[in-house]
Amino acid sequence: MLSGLLVIPLLGAIALLLWPGEVSGERLRRTCLALLVLQVAWSLWVLWQFDPTISGLQLEEIAPWVGSLGLDYRLGIDGLSLPLVLINGALSLAAALVTSTSTPRPRLYYALLLLISGAVNGAFLAQNLLLFFLFYELELIPLWLLIAIWGGSNRAYAATKFLLFTAVSGVLILGAFFGLALATGTADFSLQPLLGQELGMGVQLLLMGALLVGFGIKIPLFPFHTWLPDAHTEASTPVSLLLAGVLLKLGTYGLLRFCLGLFPDAWQLMSPWLAGWAAVSVLFGSLAAIQQQDMKRMVAYSSVGHMGYVLLAAAAATPVSLLGALFQMVSHGLISALLFLLVGVVYATTGTRDLNVLRGLLNPERGLPITGSLMIAGVMASAGIPGMGGFISEFLVFRGSLVPFPVPTLLCMVGSGLTAVYFLLLVNRVFFGRLSPPADDLDTPLPVVPLARQIPALALTVAVLLLGLAPQALGTLATATTTAMSRASQHLAALPVSAAPERLVAGGRG
Amino acid sequence: MTREPEAAAMTRQPEAAAMLERLLAGVPLLDHSAEHLLEVVAVLESYGEVLDAYSRNLIHQAQREFLNPFPVLRFFNGEVTPQRLWRHLIHDRINFEYAEYCQRLMLWHGTGGLDAYLDSAAFQQHCAVVIGHRRRRDPLLALLDPLFPDFLPELIRSAATASALGQFWRVMSDLFLDLADAHRRGEIATIAAVVAFIREGLVAAAGLPIRYAVELDGVPFEILPPAAGLTFLGDVAVPYVEAVFLRGSPFLGTVSFNAQARQIPIDQACFQYGALYADPLPTMGAGIPPSLLMQDMSRHLPAALLQVYRSRGRGEGDLRVKICASFQKAMFCVTNAAIDGTFPHPLSSSHPSEQQANRAYATAWIERLRVARIDCLPDRLAAGA
Repeated sequence: MLSGLLVIPLLGAIALLLWPGEVSGERLRRTCLALLVLQVAWSLWVLWQFDPTISGLQLEEIAPWVGSLGLDYRLGIDGLSLPLVLINGALSLAAALVTSTSTPRPRLYYALLLLISGAVNGAFLAQNLLLFFLFYELELIPLWLLIAIWGGSNRAYAATKFLLFTAVSGVLILGAFFGLALATGTADFSLQPLLGQELGMGVQLLLMGALLVGFGIKIPLFPFHTWLPDAHTEASTPVSLLLAGVLLKLGTYGLLRFCLGLFPDAWQLMSPWLAGWAAVSVLFGSLAAIQQQDMKRMVAYSSVGHMGYVLLAAAAATPVSLLGALFQMVSHGLISALLFLLVGVVYATTGTRDLNVLRGLLNPERGLPITGSLMIAGVMASAGIPGMGGFISEFLVFRGSLVPFPVPTLLCMVGSGLTAVYFLLLVNRVFFGRLSPPADDLDTPLPVVPLARQIPALALTVAVLLLGLAPQALGTLATATTTAMSRASQHLAALPVSAAPERLVAGGRG
Repeated sequence: MTREPEAAAMTRQPEAAAMLERLLAGVPLLDHSAEHLLEVVAVLESYGEVLDAYSRNLIHQAQREFLNPFPVLRFFNGEVTPQRLWRHLIHDRINFEYAEYCQRLMLWHGTGGLDAYLDSAAFQQHCAVVIGHRRRRDPLLALLDPLFPDFLPELIRSAATASALGQFWRVMSDLFLDLADAHRRGEIATIAAVVAFIREGLVAAAGLPIRYAVELDGVPFEILPPAAGLTFLGDVAVPYVEAVFLRGSPFLGTVSFNAQARQIPIDQACFQYGALYADPLPTMGAGIPPSLLMQDMSRHLPAALLQVYRSRGRGEGDLRVKICASFQKAMFCVTNAAIDGTFPHPLSSSHPSEQQANRAYATAWIERLRVARIDCLPDRLAAGA
């Protein structure tokens, strides 16, 4: 059944490429949308079949593939990967929806979009290290092409930088996986048995360090983040949406699944340093965002900051913080996708993202009032205003991490406050005040954004609100898994909050 | 409403000189063009329709809500039904709040004969009589009056201003609707003719008495008695232009005004936030009172103008900004007519001292208007050509 989540987009991509004859862009777009809707429906079916009370893997599918390499086709899903698979489906659909109908080379474009979506699903579902790596690398090339072909004026530079960074990330991860096989003396790359392996601490630290840097580049964490703002600036809106909403989550997913999951002892040893690293990353991302004059770069640096919360929560590895990490991944996925989408609308209508140029876009008659309102909702969510998705995830992260790591947590809270600073700067400059002169002309106001184009942003805003108002839905789905992950890491027993996630999430109902 | 920096105002010096010569030559400030004519006449027609409703409500308030400290249902003209209440709540109605906003502006800026009378001893005496009569039958007033002795007289001042503004708008409404009729009959073909028509209307109504009496429990009471000698042009129309067209009030909108940082003139007379200075662009933004008027006028827009608006910009999407821009042109014409009608001497006079007086009068006006939104006055097409 899980294979459906790979087969639909991957075969769809191949079918689009092999579709004989001249096919119109509109037809390709509709086919792609139909396939993505099918994928979302399939993920919802998986959700329906999913038993949230089981903490381990479910709906497993195992088939031997290349036995001599230790490469098995082994898929499984749990409370950590299911929400990410759902987000991937929804955001892939949103990305296809907001793609311009006049996109050049539509056949390749939609095929690559489907390929990424399938590869990301594969990475979240893979239960074999090599299989994970295959999918992890598989999304790299399509994304590189999406930036290099459909990007902005400086796309070649940004795409190459992205490729170099992510390739290094891939090499480190593959190296760590091979190193693990070497150290354990088995050629079996399946994920599950490794949980019980005993390894020397030096080897563990070395391998985990390689994985940490590998995933740290992907997340990205300071100082490995420099590719992200460039990639976002040059990428088109749908690609930015996928990049921020889904692809960065591969890094945090890898952090939780492989670093924490495979090396609990080393993780525990390193965790104070990791928490400190998280605080540095959060503060750096936030302070850098304040400096930005380009809306997209500001949102990109905000991503660097907000991904730091996931590292903090993972370092603490308490049941509450791990649940918070998942919440943060989901809410950041939704919120950053929303923000990139809205920045895209602003750029498409005004032709600029410069904070020094844009003014007064909230003007009800001549501006972009709906886009502006949704942007305000989005930045409120990102800054963690209660009642929205950002609040519940930051609350869980901070609540879960405060006891083990009080100082880094407090520093991260400062970062959360800084989010309000830079996003208020953005909203105040771009949306408040008087509309800037070009739109003042009676005959040439800004073009109207049709309601159909607003639907993805509206849907994301509703999702962000639902996540904030009814967090128990996601909580119920994920608590069993995140609590089990926390128990697996050894320092859990010392922590007083082991029963907390159920209580916290149940409290959301009251 | 944004205030321009001084430098920008100074660059308008040549324009100001040209405006002065136009005023003295009797040439309208607003350039003539077919489009300007359509905009001005059609907008004034819809304005006339709206003013009719406003004036009825103001007069109703002055008569029926007199000395009511909590006039919650004052916008219903006495007709309170569930349907009307519902339409009120969903704003499917005339925004009488705008009329009230103008009435408050007049009361607050308080210039001219009406204001002088409202502060006079004679008015105080009238108030004392009315309040004394009403207190005997209304326990709430009997409680409020000794506690806040200035409160009820202020309510009466407010009611008197509402009545005066209602009477003024009654005349203006008819005048603007007559203008539209005259235009339909082909009698108005130029902007100059529009200005002349309004000037004649104002001059004809100049001496109309402004009076206000209420009947309480069958007993009539004069609030603005004939003895006060208040007249249409000098005591209501001119203060109205001063309060609404020129001074206005600094409302929050696109610019936040910080009074403590002296961003607002200390002297009320130096205010430049009125209709002639207003920025049409933020219309429909939060806290922009003219939005209410533009929304009201958008419901009564003549088809010809609506057609023009539909072909421009965002069509009906930014309708109210376009109405506001046209309205500003129309208000320049009305101001123009008021200036023409109040020159101390005929413009045709050849007597040097009379010419001098006229020039001084016109210069005083231009001094105020040169920092207004005069960029709307030139013919756009001619300027672009």
